[in-house]
Amino acid sequence: MRRNALFLLVLIFFLAACSPSQTIVTSGYVNLDQRSPLPTPLNRAITPLRVAVAAVISPQGTVESYTALLNLIGKSLQRPVELVQRRTYMEINDLVKDGDVDMAFVCTSAYIAGHDQFGMELLVAPQVDGQTVYYSLLIVPSDSTAKSMADLKGKIFAFTDPISLSGRMYPTYLVNQLGSTPEDFFSRTFFTYSHDQAIQAVANKVADGAAVDSLVYAFAVSRDPQLGELIQVIHRSPAFGIPPVVVNPNIRPQLKAELQSLLLNMHTTAAGLQALKAIGVDRFVLIDDSAYNDVRTLLGDVTQTR
Amino acid sequence: MKIKPLFARFWEIAGAVNIRIKILGMALGLVLLLGTGITLQVRIALTKTVSSQLEKQSISVARDLAARSTDLILLNDLFSLHRLLQETQINNANVLYAFILDSNGRVIAHTFGDSFPLALIEKNSVSPQDHHHTVVLQTNDGLVWDTAVPILDGRAGIARIGLSDVLLRDSLRDMTGQLILTTALVSLIGVTVAALLTWILTHPILELVQATRQVAKGDFSYRVPRWANDEIGDLAEAFNLMTAELAHADDLRREKEVLRRQLLESVIRTQEEERQRISRELHDSTSQSLTSLKVGLHTLQTILTDGEAKKQTKDLYEITSQTLEDVHALAVQLRPATLDDLGLAAALQRFINDWQVRYHIPVDILVYLGNERLPGEVETALYRITQEAMTNIARHASAHKVSILLEKRGEEVVGVIEDDGQGFESHQFISGEHLGIIGMRERAELLGGKLTIESEIGKGTSLFVRIPLNHQRSSSQAISEGGQES
Repeated sequence: MRRNALFLLVLIFFLAACSPSQTIVTSGYVNLDQRSPLPTPLNRAITPLRVAVAAVISPQGTVESYTALLNLIGKSLQRPVELVQRRTYMEINDLVKDGDVDMAFVCTSAYIAGHDQFGMELLVAPQVDGQTVYYSLLIVPSDSTAKSMADLKGKIFAFTDPISLSGRMYPTYLVNQLGSTPEDFFSRTFFTYSHDQAIQAVANKVADGAAVDSLVYAFAVSRDPQLGELIQVIHRSPAFGIPPVVVNPNIRPQLKAELQSLLLNMHTTAAGLQALKAIGVDRFVLIDDSAYNDVRTLLGDVTQTR
Repeated sequence: MKIKPLFARFWEIAGAVNIRIKILGMALGLVLLLGTGITLQVRIALTKTVSSQLEKQSISVARDLAARSTDLILLNDLFSLHRLLQETQINNANVLYAFILDSNGRVIAHTFGDSFPLALIEKNSVSPQDHHHTVVLQTNDGLVWDTAVPILDGRAGIARIGLSDVLLRDSLRDMTGQLILTTALVSLIGVTVAALLTWILTHPILELVQATRQVAKGDFSYRVPRWANDEIGDLAEAFNLMTAELAHADDLRREKEVLRRQLLESVIRTQEEERQRISRELHDSTSQSLTSLKVGLHTLQTILTDGEAKKQTKDLYEITSQTLEDVHALAVQLRPATLDDLGLAAALQRFINDWQVRYHIPVDILVYLGNERLPGEVETALYRITQEAMTNIARHASAHKVSILLEKRGEEVVGVIEDDGQGFESHQFISGEHLGIIGMRERAELLGGKLTIESEIGKGTSLFVRIPLNHQRSSSQAISEGGQES
């Protein structure tokens, strides 16, 4: 009897060895039905410095460009820095307004809106090619025959953000000047939510035209010269005050001073220069709210026409 | 040591069933063995293939999810992220779950609903520079291929998806089902073919068995048809040849037996006639002469006066008287006249009386033969058998008592002669010493009767004889009956 039992055992072992669960090596058991609510994040001993960057370029591009700069800030302040991105400028403005971010890289029109609504404060402004201005560029595919905004009538036009100065407000202003509204003037419009995607939309002829930030355009073309061959610039706007770095009006004065001094001296170190180069900026400078008055006038015109 | 009794046990069962079952068992066993082997083999192969497919699918879905979720994570668009996960699950039916961990390892979106199986998080991880990392997890829902893919080199977090093994289980189940069905079908065909084959194989063998039985019964006319031109066909032919040879040999034997019987019969008859003649001669002629001589001598004795001569004559008279008695006894022994004149009962009674006187052993004799005389040859045979038996008892048995029963029962005569002597072992009388016993048997058999002797050392001897009265004196019948006895 015992021998028979042994024989059976051997048989069972061989049969069991053939079952699929034995031929696959598993790494542990999990009961998927044993669930519990996700733990709420603990208050960390060190609260990170939260920096928002408006979606001037695509989210991944932003991460790649700003990581070096933010790491440098974190190293200097000896606290972790968290990059916060949102799809629209308005969402970034809300984060600044609610104090959910300590510092934000915003768009010019967003700053004006924030300043007027809740007193968004200027911290510093980037200086590019020795200037603190930028332009809105009207771009079309390189094989397009359009020479001005008037030639884009009935075409497809790509806006960047609903409140972007260079990507939405200025081209709207141009259409207004032609005595029309974008809805009537263009056959179709859409939002790309970032300038580099608007450039891509024109390069790939998804859109017949778009208006983009001159700084982003220059940066994109310098990185990918082929892009310049696919696109031609048919119009350049007057100079606008450059998109600034802002803070909440209720920020602790000490932190504001620390951040300001850090950014203003960024270009003095080799690592700082490297980080600034990554975002296409020479250095940070102080800027006054009056630098944006021209833009306020232009925005006023657009709002009135509406 | 372990196999031997197992094999013996197997053979005990397998050896006991007939060839039909053996061949069916072989066919069925082979098909089942093959079916099982192939099923197991295919299951293993299929498991490997499908699991590698599942792993590849798991990686591709996770990579896709990671690429598509990057912007949503960076923009903190949790709603779209959630929808992306749901779409991933909808578009890939075997995605059991999907979830996204942020760069701090917190779950920011998942497909589990309100709560989350926290134990799952630590079961798989991936380093930022890796392309992906896949593990197989055992879960309550079966096996799960869990792949982790870093999002934006891990800076945006990790995408995890779990692929259930439903596909594997389903394909294994379907394939096993199909193979079992095929095996069953092939088994059915195999059994049918084996049954046919068995019939073809065993039919001629069974016919041979039948033929063998017929031959055993003595029927040499039965012939086996040559079924097929194979070894069994050869066997059938050889069998038929053997049967023919046997038939021929049997005929020869019968012929010789008939001759032997006839010869025996004539020898016995001649012997009996000769004895009768001599006995009569002794009785009629020699006895008469001796009686005359005796009477003469008696007369001479009374005439003579010389003492010496008278004494001589008296001696001669005595010798003559003794010789007459001896001649008389010899005549009786050779062929008692009583047997011819008064019948078996009287002859036996007289013989037994003489025997008792001679050997001083008491004999109980009971003879119930009715009033009619038995046929002459039966009387002679029974008398001679009794004579031989009593001679044997006197010579060898050292008996103290003998009983004889002779009875006519319907159409046969039955005789029993028992003694309480030392007995003997049955094999002894088969050897040549006891020709007498063989003679007794021959006598009985010549008349279509039967004679048996039972004996055991120390327990005496019993002789049984049975002779039919209506026996036809046809030699062939006597022989065929005799043939069955031998």
